[in-house]
Amino acid sequence: MSYSLVNLLPLSFKLVFSHVFYIALTIAIALTFWIIFNLFEQLIFFWPVWVFYLPEDALLGFVVTNITAILLGILISLNIYVIRNSRLKITKSSLFSGTGLGILSSTCVSCSSIGFLLISTFGGLGIVISNFLSTYQLPLRLVSICILLFALYSVHKKIRDLCYRLS
Amino acid sequence: MLTSLPKIEDNLLNAVRLLCAIIFFYLIIILSYSYIPLPLILDIDMNNIRLLEYAGAIERQEVIDVRENSSLSLTNLIHQGSPYLGDPSTAPITIIDFSDFQCYLCARYVKATEPLIRDTYIETGKVVLVFKHLPNRGFDSLGASIAAQCANEQGKFWEFHNMLYENQKPIDSGWVNQENLKKFAAKINGLDIKKFNECLDNQKYKDFVEKDIDLGSSFGFQDTPSFVIVNSKDGSNPEVLKGAYPFPSFKAIIDKKLSEVQNSN
Repeated sequence: MSYSLVNLLPLSFKLVFSHVFYIALTIAIALTFWIIFNLFEQLIFFWPVWVFYLPEDALLGFVVTNITAILLGILISLNIYVIRNSRLKITKSSLFSGTGLGILSSTCVSCSSIGFLLISTFGGLGIVISNFLSTYQLPLRLVSICILLFALYSVHKKIRDLCYRLS
Repeated sequence: MLTSLPKIEDNLLNAVRLLCAIIFFYLIIILSYSYIPLPLILDIDMNNIRLLEYAGAIERQEVIDVRENSSLSLTNLIHQGSPYLGDPSTAPITIIDFSDFQCYLCARYVKATEPLIRDTYIETGKVVLVFKHLPNRGFDSLGASIAAQCANEQGKFWEFHNMLYENQKPIDSGWVNQENLKKFAAKINGLDIKKFNECLDNQKYKDFVEKDIDLGSSFGFQDTPSFVIVNSKDGSNPEVLKGAYPFPSFKAIIDKKLSEVQNSN
């Protein structure tokens, strides 16, 4: 008796990703966010030449942002499935907060214009905020992953409940 | 037990909603950046008035195009007392590096890119690297810049520069307070520590660093590191790189400028 890896996936994944459209959507969304995160991290450059490089100090952050981008791709695809197949409103709060936190924690806040904006708007408090966001970049990214996993669980539950209701 | 589980989920959702609201507020501020007048709200101390004035200057658009600035010739930069690396008598191209010792992207550039630029272009006499201070990331950044100039006074700038970036810690964690700056200096061979400490205590190079900040401000530089690559002779034909660009990006620009200089000769 062969035991497929597919059997290990949750019901919602099997249902949604049996359609090629959602697989393509997931890849496209994950890739988009991957580019955005790495642009903010200054690992990808499009001028004067196209370059991607991975210095030692960026390795751990790169792994974490990869996980975040993949989770976002999966999550948004699942949410689109729910929107298309049900009239229920989904709670987007955890999706957006995970996304926003993921983007926020990808920037070197202190080194970029965002830190400058904080400083110029809030003065000394802005310095403290930008330093906090820079110093705790990795924990913030891990928090964003937790938020996204929670959002993933929520939407999985919705799809499962939708299936039970329809069956 | 079963009835308590939905309550836990509700509380979590509320917490997530609150976090979402905070992030949304933050994003609104970023998106409306161009439209918000930027008051100078808090002056923490004299060191940070500079920081806030700089931010105000950016908003009031008191910046000039880097092309209009004629003070970027290598002779001028050396005459000003800026630390430099390379042979100014032969190098046709100058890279001006505006950095902050507390900026981690500057540290990334120093560790990953600068050695390649040094081996490929500086040691072959094609490029001179000039350092300009842009201490705008933390409360202790100005002190670190002043200390680095004190080391430059004794010809030990690059040793001090490398030591700070190798030992970089989180911004304003105290790693570059006065005491630690003196400890770093004490580790450098050949540095007169008494002279260095006196220079640092008197803040001898504060005006010098502030002039560098003014220059960066005049170009509208907010990011660190930021680079201006110019012809050494007259500071003309500037190319600007804002960020910790990797070596291939510098190579593309430097090779282009070298061929332009060669063609014009």
